[in-house]
Amino acid sequence: MTQTPTIGFFQMLPLECKKLKRTGCLPAVVLCGLFAAAFPLANMLVRPEAFTTLPGDPLSILADANWQMIAMLNILLSICLCCIMYHTEFADRGIQKSETLPVKAHLLFLGKGTILAVSGIVVILTECAALGFCALHWFPAYTFDSSAAFALLKFAGFQWLMLLPTMLLMLCIASICSNMWTSLGIGIILTFTIYVFPQKNLLLGLLPFSTPYHLLSESVSADQTLLYPAACAAETILFALCGAIYPSIRRYHS
Amino acid sequence: MNFFSLIQIELQKIKRSKILLLLVIPVFMMWIPSILNADGIFDTQGIPITPESNFFVQGFMGMVWFMIPATLILCTVLLRQNEHTNHGILKMLALPISGPALCLAKFTVLILLTFVQMLLLILAYYLSAAAASAMVDYTLLLPPLFVFRTVFGFYLATVPMAAVFWMIAVLIASPIFQIGIGLASIVPSVLLINTKVWFAYPMCYPFYLLMIAYGRAAAGVYETTIDWIPWIPIAALLTLAALFIACLRFGHAERK
Repeated sequence: MTQTPTIGFFQMLPLECKKLKRTGCLPAVVLCGLFAAAFPLANMLVRPEAFTTLPGDPLSILADANWQMIAMLNILLSICLCCIMYHTEFADRGIQKSETLPVKAHLLFLGKGTILAVSGIVVILTECAALGFCALHWFPAYTFDSSAAFALLKFAGFQWLMLLPTMLLMLCIASICSNMWTSLGIGIILTFTIYVFPQKNLLLGLLPFSTPYHLLSESVSADQTLLYPAACAAETILFALCGAIYPSIRRYHS
Repeated sequence: MNFFSLIQIELQKIKRSKILLLLVIPVFMMWIPSILNADGIFDTQGIPITPESNFFVQGFMGMVWFMIPATLILCTVLLRQNEHTNHGILKMLALPISGPALCLAKFTVLILLTFVQMLLLILAYYLSAAAASAMVDYTLLLPPLFVFRTVFGFYLATVPMAAVFWMIAVLIASPIFQIGIGLASIVPSVLLINTKVWFAYPMCYPFYLLMIAYGRAAAGVYETTIDWIPWIPIAALLTLAALFIACLRFGHAERK
């Protein structure tokens, strides 16, 4: 008797990508990256002297001026992506069909989470490229050598890690709520309430939806280089576990 | 079927959607930082403003900048997606009801929900102002006439924005762009409010009214008179155009 072959993680990824094929996720990621990249460019085009005269590292000047809005756009993109990823499952009861497949339930979540993390890399690299371009074009002192490239990549990696807990928490929420407006509503409420909460409070600052606003330069100047990355890594693992375990507890009835 | 029974039916459809809960939570949550920071309200950083006006402006800032637009988008998603289950919208479109009337009925529900949200907002304002007053031993409550008039102004200023969001929701079938375009349009309103063409961007109308209220309460922060002339005609034009396009295209994506 032959056993039904179960689908592994690496066979699951192309399947998840296929599900997103006609939802417009890929153009949304690209457009969000470009739209966010337009903020530093617009700022520099309209009032370059407000920034070029500031003392300090060009990259951190640009990040200080623009990252708040860029981070908010990244969070909003994560919310959209999570909502749509599970909307395609819940609409027409796709999730119940998925459950009958020889797929481990947690792979569904982890596959989606991986796609989300990769799209995070894409947007953040686009935005960092825009920051690098602005620095190169408007700041005469900035030269793009290997150390500058390394600094830019380090910045991108740090901001990506800051975004991960938000993405995974939102994916958990989207996997719990079968109506898209409920998960969207919770996402919007969390984004904007945490945004008005004081970021200086350390405990509130370490929450998902708040960490994406935190900059690498802030961590360095406060001498807490490891605190934020460690907290984000822990939160990411926690939410990944929660999301992976949840489907085996719950049955998706409608 | 007349227009009022259409609205009644639309309200019936969203009865079990928990939308009111989703509207209530942010309205009250947004005031928590203001209550917790009640002491800080006296530190005006050199701006000549009374503490009670400062409390009002600071508290409403987040609400009118992003929470009201964001909940409007949420409501459009609800109104559009609710009926996609089991192709409910196709059944509605097959009935002998005029498409534009159905579209306008849904839009009416959208602005009704916003109206409810505004009433809740006033309630939340008074509760939190009372709580903060008790904490700092200073009356932070503003006269009801002023509060009602200002919030009603915000409400009227959200109608053009609601029409534009509704048009986006009708025109764009893919939910990701429906939500994405709406949410992305909120973020730059803080930049556009400081430009000369703010009146062409409906997403910043309520924010503009709040800034005027701020300017009146604290001299020199912002302008004190509303530029009625380019604003009202353009806002009316944008609203009517958005609603016209929405009515014209309503149901097209679904019939395909």
